[in-house]
Amino acid sequence: MTAKKLIRHETILALLVIVALFVLDRQSDRFFTVDNLFNQGRLMTEVGLIALIMTFVIVTGGIDLSVGSIVGMTAIVLGVFWKNLGLPLPLAILLALAVGTFAGFVNGIIITRFRVPALIATLGTLALYRGIAEGISQARSVRGYPEWFFVLGQGSVLGVPTQLWILGLVALLSAVALAYTTWGRTTYAIGSNEVAARFSGLGVDATKIAIYAASGFAAALAAVIFVSRVSTTRSDMGTGLELDAITAVVLGGTSIFGGRGTVVGTILGLILIQALKNGLSLAGVKSDGTVVLIGAVLILTILVSNLFHRDANR
Amino acid sequence: MTPPVMPPVTSPVTPLVSLAGVSKSFAGVRVLKDVDFDVLPGEVHALLGENGAGKSTLIKVIAGVHAPDGGTITIGERELAAVTPRDAVEGGIATVYQELLLFPELSVAENVFLGHAPTRGLGRLDWTQMRRRARQLLDSLDSHDLDVDAKVGTLSVANRQRVEIAKALSQNARVLIMDEPTAALADADVRRLMDVVRRLRARGVGIVYVSHKLPEIFELADRVTVLRDGALIGTKPIAEVTEQSLVAMMVGREIDHLFPKPEPAIRETVLKVEGLACGDRFRDVSFELRRGEILGMAGLVGSGRTEVALTIFGITPATAGTIELEGRPVAITSPRHACDLGIAYVPEDRGLQGLVRPMTIAQNVSMASLRKVATGIFIRFADEALRAAASIKQLGTRARGPDQVVGQLSGGNQQKVVLGKWLETNPRILIMDEPTRGIDVGAKSEIHALMGRLAQEGMAILMISSELPEVLGMSDRVLVMHAGRLVAAIDRADANPESVGAAMAGAAAQEAA
Repeated sequence: MTAKKLIRHETILALLVIVALFVLDRQSDRFFTVDNLFNQGRLMTEVGLIALIMTFVIVTGGIDLSVGSIVGMTAIVLGVFWKNLGLPLPLAILLALAVGTFAGFVNGIIITRFRVPALIATLGTLALYRGIAEGISQARSVRGYPEWFFVLGQGSVLGVPTQLWILGLVALLSAVALAYTTWGRTTYAIGSNEVAARFSGLGVDATKIAIYAASGFAAALAAVIFVSRVSTTRSDMGTGLELDAITAVVLGGTSIFGGRGTVVGTILGLILIQALKNGLSLAGVKSDGTVVLIGAVLILTILVSNLFHRDANR
Repeated sequence: MTPPVMPPVTSPVTPLVSLAGVSKSFAGVRVLKDVDFDVLPGEVHALLGENGAGKSTLIKVIAGVHAPDGGTITIGERELAAVTPRDAVEGGIATVYQELLLFPELSVAENVFLGHAPTRGLGRLDWTQMRRRARQLLDSLDSHDLDVDAKVGTLSVANRQRVEIAKALSQNARVLIMDEPTAALADADVRRLMDVVRRLRARGVGIVYVSHKLPEIFELADRVTVLRDGALIGTKPIAEVTEQSLVAMMVGREIDHLFPKPEPAIRETVLKVEGLACGDRFRDVSFELRRGEILGMAGLVGSGRTEVALTIFGITPATAGTIELEGRPVAITSPRHACDLGIAYVPEDRGLQGLVRPMTIAQNVSMASLRKVATGIFIRFADEALRAAASIKQLGTRARGPDQVVGQLSGGNQQKVVLGKWLETNPRILIMDEPTRGIDVGAKSEIHALMGRLAQEGMAILMISSELPEVLGMSDRVLVMHAGRLVAAIDRADANPESVGAAMAGAAAQEAA
């Protein structure tokens, strides 16, 4: 049964996370403090939201490279709608979310209707959406957001950073959706054998479009939180975020060929990466060294998990 | 009809290649059983058989792609247990595959001499000589119009094929294997290709010619070998066979009593198809399917049988004609739509279209009826497992349980899972495309028994099959497709190997035309 094999990857990952946390704790007495951990949670939220939905995208055998650009585009849309067009900020937020969802929907249409491979379609929109962001912003940044808006990115609710509540909620919803619902089952079926899924009467295209639209929504939500956290809007926001998200998903055991992966794995992947980044910098390791180590951990984890898979598969 | 340039050569000549008792299995399935085959110099030896009969495996054994499990292969004087690609090249064996293996960005001359180009010392290519010799080779194939400097990617399929043949000749091929060379060609190009084949034969090249098209075989071949289910059915001089006898050899003549067919209880019409067409795949197809009936659909590969099924199931929506379901006209636009209308399709390609092999039996069985095991969007896993267990029991699937991964099951049990998946949807119409292909005899008769039972309970079944015994044994009526048209509808009483075979070979089509 597939679940057993998946749990195996996640077990390895969970052990790795515990070891990493333990080792990092010995390196610096500032690592295991509530303040530091919550702060890391804030930093992790944007890439986390994107990675959660990216898990669905990759489980279908697809990829979404445009999410970083959607972050940039929706951040600009938010700023321009509020500052230049004078719309109320809550309305501008809703419009930004709608624009992001639509951008993802467009990805889905290109991929399903015109049969363009996801890699190429979203590589195209990666450039397109970033270009739109830069075109609108004309290199000007937007500042001066009202105080209440910063609650989202800098404030706390019941002692926990606001965006961690959001991340937790999205994580819970996506974990349940992927593991326990007909949508999740369809997602796995598409990734394992799209033809058979279609021949079984599953709504293959509709599901894929919905997933890419959700990916765009997640990117837009990340953008709003991002703007709130750094109090400013710039068109280069989110550059490269797609690769961080994909790294977390793949580290979490999702097969890049589709059909395999869990939300729990992605969450563990996110935690491991963020812990390594933060812990190593606190321990005085330079950031280029950290990047090298994350790359090595990614490859090693996949290698180890493949060793187990080889005998389990077929 | 042009007479052969050389009369058929008979036994005293030493064969260029001969195979004796060659067997080959893939993953426990025997695809070649004790096959003898030989190619003489200056003959066209046609190789015939339905899909999955073992033709491709046989030519790959000769070309050195697959090593056989048993038997010997003699190339010239050398007796080998297995041919390596190198042996094949040294022995002068060249293959022109269906999917041409050329480099589209290189010129014709470069492609012809790839790997053995003439050089001028220090490894520099001798372009002048390469182009001159490529020109000579193409001229010898009567292809004076083909530019040796043209990029292969810009050529038509027919011209690319000539380049492949020139390439084979540049390696001094004495045996040329051609795998369905005319499958993608227009009529005029087919004629030219046949001229080329005759020229090569006149030069003493032995040609193995794989094709589904019987008229070509009668025009070209000196001898014909028929394979069925991996076994040699016979090798005969072309003068001793007719189209009908070849069809009978391909699909099997004898009707065993393996078909437990209960008395049918045929009731009202469920499906009425009129003037149905889908692009140029098939056209003008009209028939009725009734409750309690098993309607067989026969025809050679490429006659449009599967295409009709795909259209009724909504994969390739119809471009003309009407489909009526219980008297209501419907436009079926997607498999999902077909599913909702109560149409089920057990596809031809089990691994690709029928199953999600890395998933479990339970997940596959519920796939077409997920809504039945879900509350809202939430899957009731226990319920799903119970239904799968019931399906396993009902169909006699040999499996460890609902949690077993489908990819681990044997062909027959995989087919039962596909069937179980569709029975979960309670379909009104069950279309089965090659329901027992690649399945062992036991599972085969179980599936036949089940089909009989389902029909008796009132299901309408459309069964597409390449196996004539199956068609004749199971069907209440037989439809026959030929070249994209429905050419005959034969009642059970009148259906016999001769009548159905003749229609498959297109006899009725000529009368109608």
